[in-house]
Amino acid sequence: MENQVVINTFVKETGGYVASQLEACTRCGMCAEACHFYQATENPEFAPIWKIELLKRAYEQRFTLIGKIKLALGVDKQITDDDVAHFSKIVYEACTMCNKCSMVCPMGIQLGPLIHEVRTGFSNAGLVPADLMAAVNKQVTEGSPLGVTDDVFESRMEWVADEWEVELPMDVKGADTLVVFSSIEIMKFPENIAAIAKILNKAGEKWTLSTKAREVVNFGFYEGSTERTIMFLKRVFDGAVDLGVKKIVVTECGHAYDAMRWTSYNIMDVPKGIEITHIVGLIGEYVRSGKIKLKKGALDNGGTITFHDACKIQRRGGHIKEPREVLSILAPKTFKEMSPNREQAVCCGGGGGVIAIKEADPIRYAAFELKIDQMKKVGAKTVVMSCSNCRLQFTDCVQHFNLDVKVAGLSQLVADALVE
Amino acid sequence: MNWTDILAFARGPFFEVALLVFIAGMAYRLVRILFLGWQPDKVPARGSKLGGVAKSFLKGVLIWPFIPWVKNTFKRNPIIYMAGGLFHLGLFVVIFLGTAHMLVWKSLIGIGWKTLPLPIVDWFAAATIVAIIALFINRLVNPVLKLISGPAEWFNLLFVFLPMVTGYALTHHLWFRYEVLYSLHMISVDVLLIWIPLSRISHFMFYFFSKAIHGADFGKRAVEP
Amino acid sequence: MPDKSIFEELKEKGVSRRDFMKLCGTVAGAIGLTYLPPVKLNGASAKLGRSYKPAALVAKALATKSRLPVIWLEFQDCAGCSEALTRSQSPTLVDLVLNQITVEYHETLSAAAGFQADDAKMAAMKKYAGKYVLVIEGSVSPKDGGVYCTIGGKSSLALLQEAAAGAAAIIATGNCAAFGGLPKANPNPTGAVSVSEALPGKTILNIPGCPAIPEVFTGTLAHFLIFGTLPELDQLNRPKTFYGNTIHDRCLRRPFYEAGKFASSFDDEGAKQGYCLYKLGCKGPTTYNACASLKWCGGLSFPVQSGHPCLGCSEPNFWDGGGFYQGQSAPLDRPALVTAGAALATGAVIGAGAAAANHAQKKTAEHDEKKEK
Repeated sequence: MENQVVINTFVKETGGYVASQLEACTRCGMCAEACHFYQATENPEFAPIWKIELLKRAYEQRFTLIGKIKLALGVDKQITDDDVAHFSKIVYEACTMCNKCSMVCPMGIQLGPLIHEVRTGFSNAGLVPADLMAAVNKQVTEGSPLGVTDDVFESRMEWVADEWEVELPMDVKGADTLVVFSSIEIMKFPENIAAIAKILNKAGEKWTLSTKAREVVNFGFYEGSTERTIMFLKRVFDGAVDLGVKKIVVTECGHAYDAMRWTSYNIMDVPKGIEITHIVGLIGEYVRSGKIKLKKGALDNGGTITFHDACKIQRRGGHIKEPREVLSILAPKTFKEMSPNREQAVCCGGGGGVIAIKEADPIRYAAFELKIDQMKKVGAKTVVMSCSNCRLQFTDCVQHFNLDVKVAGLSQLVADALVE
Repeated sequence: MNWTDILAFARGPFFEVALLVFIAGMAYRLVRILFLGWQPDKVPARGSKLGGVAKSFLKGVLIWPFIPWVKNTFKRNPIIYMAGGLFHLGLFVVIFLGTAHMLVWKSLIGIGWKTLPLPIVDWFAAATIVAIIALFINRLVNPVLKLISGPAEWFNLLFVFLPMVTGYALTHHLWFRYEVLYSLHMISVDVLLIWIPLSRISHFMFYFFSKAIHGADFGKRAVEP
Repeated sequence: MPDKSIFEELKEKGVSRRDFMKLCGTVAGAIGLTYLPPVKLNGASAKLGRSYKPAALVAKALATKSRLPVIWLEFQDCAGCSEALTRSQSPTLVDLVLNQITVEYHETLSAAAGFQADDAKMAAMKKYAGKYVLVIEGSVSPKDGGVYCTIGGKSSLALLQEAAAGAAAIIATGNCAAFGGLPKANPNPTGAVSVSEALPGKTILNIPGCPAIPEVFTGTLAHFLIFGTLPELDQLNRPKTFYGNTIHDRCLRRPFYEAGKFASSFDDEGAKQGYCLYKLGCKGPTTYNACASLKWCGGLSFPVQSGHPCLGCSEPNFWDGGGFYQGQSAPLDRPALVTAGAALATGAVIGAGAAAANHAQKKTAEHDEKKEK
């Protein structure tokens, strides 16, 4: 009966936004040429337009005259339980919702958001890969997919503050800015926390962490569940309201930024008067305004350094100039752009929940070969990024492929090059 | 029944009916989408949505067709990129800048305009026909297109191919008498007019929706669409 | 006493044998005998021997045949075709042929009038029954009992049927007789029809034009004189010799069409330069006639040459062909603005209905989802 739930969700979610774009498609297949999963595996089912096939079928069969006639004549088929199970696999394992497809579509169809709608349908029917759902449930019960409960959080932060000798203000009422880390950073890249703290303190920011709003990652967003996306967002907003802050800073996480900055307002009541920004954007502001000063050429002696654009921070977030401004100061001689870059950049292949799904590993590694190619072409010795999920993917793949490349976070490099 | 009578029918009542079906059909499709419900966008914009929309339209028409390398996909599949672009360009030239068709527009909307010389339009028409054949072959051979194409996609190609070929033959007096070719051309045009609202050829109307949504989405984030 | 042959008559008039052969050559050329294999034409080979020399063929025919009786009736017409013929300036060909036919009765040209003329006509029809060529000029009006066109109390249809009964061949000259012409144009209040429509089942030779080119008429008649049969006809029963190509095919301004050089108005630079008149509504491409090759006024000029777009006057329904100055590529029928508006509104209303139905489905889906939860 899952097919009925999926179809029902599709019907509910299909308004002018979805319908007009479904109508606009000419079946030209260009989207596939932009999808790193299709390019890496040559599997035609990974074509972005195929990923929304069930959404299109439901729309045609329920909302259009021609679709109804075709269904009645048997030219078109009903959506079955097998169909939804099959497509669930494709949509969760072979898509990061990087939205590069929308950039090559001659009609400009926003396939990323449409695939997100498809995930919503599958999530309502309980057709989410087990690994991913486990992480989601963990976030529901424990507050974090990686198990960062409030106790774990407190002890981790204490340890970071101690280890890196850095001040980490906690639950400061009346602070200007709330900083929310991702559990990936907390558990896997704790040096990032120290780095960001160092930067904020140097810039004189009146900031704070929050026990209530301790997790910025939003696995409900990966899952596609509106209910759980809201649930996880609410925890952050509640924490922000409690502390009376005027700004929320999303640290190095991509999807979290997409969920909070670009989606929340349309699915829930967002507390007024709070600006939402990303740490990359904040660093850019500090550098431009002179609040922090960076050592010129600090990274020029380590071989070619390149920047990996994170889909949800650069293409879908808009913070494209800031990393370049920073790297042009830090590595004026050795910074080289990969090709393509900026809004046209190639996805790392691990975002959107893909890296959390064990079964998707072969596809994920295959997709990463495109990045290897890009880095090789430019002769990169170091690759910098502003998203921890990308960093997770890069780190894992560098090990898997035994590459001689250093993976770094932008905040880390900035913190290390601060002029005292 | 002779071809002069068939011609009078194809240019006369059949055309009128086909045009009315086209108008009614497109209005139906447009209104059906327009009134399906649009959620207001409450997300505070970082850049100009309107600017994004404008850029999205302008880039699609002025830059992409003529500077193919700005799109990374050109490297992946240059033939299809060019075939699609040439097809649309040629279609535009023939339908709007060809003298014979300009006179049709003049009779329908009351104004005419300067047109290109026949030999130039002719080359575009030939290029369009070649492009359609290339697109046809691609749809047969490309694994993605094989997966996502249904019978309608083949009809789309056929119903645009026929007017192009009959029009070309008509202009060059190929194979048959003029009134035979003219009749075939008009019949194929009438069939196309009826087919458009029933098919994805209507994408030229939905183009404005999807491009605007795209431009607004990117402009909102201050990213180049 | 047997009737004198055409050659004998000419000899009496002082035409030498040499001149006679020259004239025959001209006739042969006019009816296209130099292009066609004449001996295979319309089964006339057995009668005329195996000579391939066209002039000799014509000569033989004219030498052995006697004069042809012609009965010329006019119905809903302007007499323009007759006028063109009699005003024709081509002395040799037209004169030759017209002198070889006896116009036993002509509606306009007959000296007599009234009942005497009518009696003369009936007498001629009786005398030459089965031998005369019936020429019709003008359309026929059978509507409402034929009251809209009567001569001597008889309707045009009745007169036509009566004359057609004893005709060896029926020629419809001019667009009105061939296709209905001006009387048939919208709204056709008199119910005018062509001769072909008035006499279903009979083969009518059509020589359309408004008027018909005189040389085309006489050339066709010459063919009948020589071979005793109708020439090869196209699908609208027009002699292929003269109606086998379009004006566009033989037009002197064709290179300008190909180069895309058009006159946009009657007094602009393009018009002064003699550019193609396609944009001014020239119907040349779909008009089959000999205007561009034989031309008018004894080969002097034709409309396009003189700067006016071809009207398409040798084609059916040219009066309703969209207008003389509307492009030949334009559609013949267009929906009126009101009708188009109605179509738009109908589509929009049904679309709104569909959208409303879809909305209802969405509401139900939302409701069902809430129930599930």
